[in-house]
Amino acid sequence: MSLGRVYAISEKEARYILRDPRSLAVTTLLPLVLLVLFGYAINFDVREISLAVFDPDSTPVSRDLVQALTRTEYFRLVRMLPDVNDAEHALASGQAKAVVVIPTGFGADLAAGRTVSVQSLINGSDSLTASIALGYLEGMLQDWSLRYMKTQLPRDSVQIPITPKVRIWFNEDLSSVLFITPGLIVVILIMLAALLTSQTIVRERERGTMEGLIVSPITAREILLGKLLPYVVIALADVVLVAAAGRLLFDVPLRGNPIILLALLLIYLLSALGLGLLISSIARSQQVAYLMALIGTLLPTILLTGFIFPVSSMPDALRAAVQLHPATHFMIIARSMSLKGASFGVVLPRALALLSITIGVIALTVSRFRKTL
Amino acid sequence: MRSRLRHIIRKELIQVRRDRRIMAMLVVAPLFQLFVFGYAVTLDIKHIPLVVCDRARSSESRKIAASFPRSGHFDLVDETDSPAQLTTNLVSGRALVSLYIPHDFSKRRARGEEAELQILIDGTDMNSAGIASSYISRLIAHHLRTDEVSISPPSMVTHEPRILYNPDLESVNYMVPGVICMILGTVMTAVTALALVREREAGTLEQLIVTPIRPIELMLGKTLPFAAIGLLDVALITLLARYWFKVHVAGSVGLLFIASLFFLLTTLGLGLFISTVSRTQQQAMLTAFFVIMPSVILSGFMFPIENMPASIQWITYVIPLRYFVTIVRGIFLQGSGMEVLWPHLAALIVSGGTIFMLSALRFQKRLD
Amino acid sequence: MTSGTAIDVRGLTKRFGDFIAVDTVSFNIPRGEVFGLLGPNGAGKSTTIRMLCGILLPSAGSGTVAGHDILDEPEAVRSRIGYMSQRFSLYLDLTIGENLEFYGGIYSLNRAQLQERKRWALEMAGLQAREQQLTEDLPAGLRQRLALGCALLHQPEVVFLDEPTAGADPMSRRQFWDVIYRLRAEGATTLVSTHYMDEAERCDRLGFIFAGQLVAIDRPDDLKRAQRAGVIVEVACDRPAAAVETLERTDGIRQARLHGAGIHVSPAVADGAVNAVLAILERHGFSVERAETVEPSLDDIFVSFIQESEERPEAATP
Repeated sequence: MSLGRVYAISEKEARYILRDPRSLAVTTLLPLVLLVLFGYAINFDVREISLAVFDPDSTPVSRDLVQALTRTEYFRLVRMLPDVNDAEHALASGQAKAVVVIPTGFGADLAAGRTVSVQSLINGSDSLTASIALGYLEGMLQDWSLRYMKTQLPRDSVQIPITPKVRIWFNEDLSSVLFITPGLIVVILIMLAALLTSQTIVRERERGTMEGLIVSPITAREILLGKLLPYVVIALADVVLVAAAGRLLFDVPLRGNPIILLALLLIYLLSALGLGLLISSIARSQQVAYLMALIGTLLPTILLTGFIFPVSSMPDALRAAVQLHPATHFMIIARSMSLKGASFGVVLPRALALLSITIGVIALTVSRFRKTL
Repeated sequence: MRSRLRHIIRKELIQVRRDRRIMAMLVVAPLFQLFVFGYAVTLDIKHIPLVVCDRARSSESRKIAASFPRSGHFDLVDETDSPAQLTTNLVSGRALVSLYIPHDFSKRRARGEEAELQILIDGTDMNSAGIASSYISRLIAHHLRTDEVSISPPSMVTHEPRILYNPDLESVNYMVPGVICMILGTVMTAVTALALVREREAGTLEQLIVTPIRPIELMLGKTLPFAAIGLLDVALITLLARYWFKVHVAGSVGLLFIASLFFLLTTLGLGLFISTVSRTQQQAMLTAFFVIMPSVILSGFMFPIENMPASIQWITYVIPLRYFVTIVRGIFLQGSGMEVLWPHLAALIVSGGTIFMLSALRFQKRLD
Repeated sequence: MTSGTAIDVRGLTKRFGDFIAVDTVSFNIPRGEVFGLLGPNGAGKSTTIRMLCGILLPSAGSGTVAGHDILDEPEAVRSRIGYMSQRFSLYLDLTIGENLEFYGGIYSLNRAQLQERKRWALEMAGLQAREQQLTEDLPAGLRQRLALGCALLHQPEVVFLDEPTAGADPMSRRQFWDVIYRLRAEGATTLVSTHYMDEAERCDRLGFIFAGQLVAIDRPDDLKRAQRAGVIVEVACDRPAAAVETLERTDGIRQARLHGAGIHVSPAVADGAVNAVLAILERHGFSVERAETVEPSLDDIFVSFIQESEERPEAATP
């Protein structure tokens, strides 16, 4: 392997990149812009769920219940319904995500010691919000009920129940940002890396300059390596920018060992860049390469690798299949190391999986790319 | 006019049909993707890995510990005597939730004192954490209600919840329509983004400029064939959703197709516009990516728009995908019709028209 | 503008930043003429043609083609012209037949017309048997013919051919010119750019373009008769390359260059030119086989025009 020839290819590729300032700007700034945008935009925290209430009773007791439900940050009262038949429309129109219906005679029945039943209607379309809303309502109604009983009845006859003391670790505020940000970095990197390198070989074919390379003494491996290097540099620059932004803007911690994380990151990048090169050697036109890279990385990475949707919830066959995706492993590594301060020993199995995938991709690329038209 | 348009469309179709890979990506890939994603996009958190440390070892504590896996939501991955093990399991990711029942649990219960259960949840995935948390509180509440041992009086206020539109809270019903939108929205913009630039690089754009063809004819000629392919996709994907994932279309299929057509034209037009402002295929490609990524994230598909800061919510108004997601979800899940959806449809039509106009203006039939 | 004018150009200029590609070019081409635009690479031939076709916007100047203004009525111009670029602009992933049908359709030929013109084009190009073949699989020479066919499907009044025969063999080039003559017989006007001298000889009139300027415009014979080139001495000797170098270095010799196996020399003074050249060569030890004056070819005329343009700025400086 002649490093001189590799360098010649790298230099030419670098020159091509630099000559297109718009693309260069997009390549380096895009991840940063996306991170900032999404960091501020993405919020899973289900708060301020829009709630409509129908309270025909309108006694101090019922009003107290309504207050208890809407005073917190969990629900936001959008409307007091005049009629119970408005409930479904409020949900259908999207005005409210949930409706609470207090029965007439609520106050009277409670005062008389009878059990009352509060109904709720929840829009199940958004099952996430719905199940959380359901949980909130259950909990809040129970709390209110207990408090009411305490005020009404003598002390000792009330059994103090079991209190679950729930503590959240690693992400105490259940802040989405800390969860999303490392994942976002993982997702953006693989897409960008694959997109960039997906064009590099097929572009030469389309332009006809591949012929010149084929007749020269340069070997297939030298071409691949030479084309890889400039993009490694760009990808690393991106990583630094994004990591810095994550730290400074969103306080994403880095509780683990940064050197190890960087090393694993490099392996991850290589798998992504290698994937792009593989696509580039298969595709016959830039357009096909682009579509392959986009379709192959965008949605699969966002949906299948545990970015949002947990891998553990997938059916067994699918769960096994996504282990082939490098992002599945690096997602866990990134999150464990940044948020949980996991040591290398803890992430070792994942690191090994990542390494084998990377080697596999590169080996496949090298074997497929021959110096032919 | 018509004949010129017809010939451009015919040429585009010949080219697409001849390149089998493009056809595969435009028709086969979406189906395959829906099939795979349909299984993945579930927020129903199953198999929550749980590790338990029960120091009390009373019948009640054991009952409580057992109720977790019995509920179907939790998988007991480990039982340990050492609280330190709980920590290790959480850090390594082996468990998401740890339950610690202190040794004086039963004694306190017997004495009528407040008894604690210590639960640690890995908050990294705050989604799963929040859901796990709500499962847990429901579990405890249920235990209290049904437990004969505890002498607490029944709650005076009971809760009767009714879930509308998606009674089993199957997130697949919510997600699959969204996935349909995603698949269409990403591929369609990408496919036209390179359209004009390729012709320019190949030299055929020059030849087209010299002909009497009008800019709008060229724009339409390059988008209509893909709109047709897109509609075919909609049909196939809807069938797959209906018969495989059992996600029904509660509303009008006709409305779905009309909305899809407008969305396709808009999203194809967007790609075409990108094509008119790019000098090379690489530029077009990166620009399109720059547009597609935010569209996916801000469309309301995964992340609720209401949770976004106001300034970003304003941005989502110019994202066509946002309207399409709302429309498709409305049609699939709530059977919504024009009365409810017309503002979103109007937004799609307006944005589509604007994009086409801008593209036609930009494409001046000159090379410089 | 008279109805007899096909192309009328006035002060056409094109600037790319600081670089002036076409510098106030003016000419007038009557209907039915075959006009050749001659010049070295980068002289501005293609740029001029592209401005006339509406592909590039002129920086200054105006023009009419087929009676319509190129700035105000570009679409009217486009429906009346045919254009063939150096790159042929064919869709490689379409078959020959599909390319023809596409372009015919774009020019709004109806079904009957399209079939007839397609048949004509296939016959003209000798591609009848290959209608179903992918354009990508055609060798360059046949692609040229196909491109010409596509450009002429709608029987345009004015035809622009930008180096249409670049790289073609002499047989193909001859056939190409048959087509052009046939066009002229049918009343069409052709503007063809070339740097082949033998093709230049076949044009009705020639325009020399050099460094963006139109340095001469006339009929080929008239250009030769103008004797601007002065005297040309044709020499056959040994080591012609070295001889050229020697001659160029000598005072009294305007220019010397290789011409076929021999040398063409342009001395500064016409009288006694042959003897002067002989003397120089023999002084330097070359054995001369033959030295005689010859008629300047277009080649020579062209070169001398270039030289004149190069010398002109020097003459202008005080």
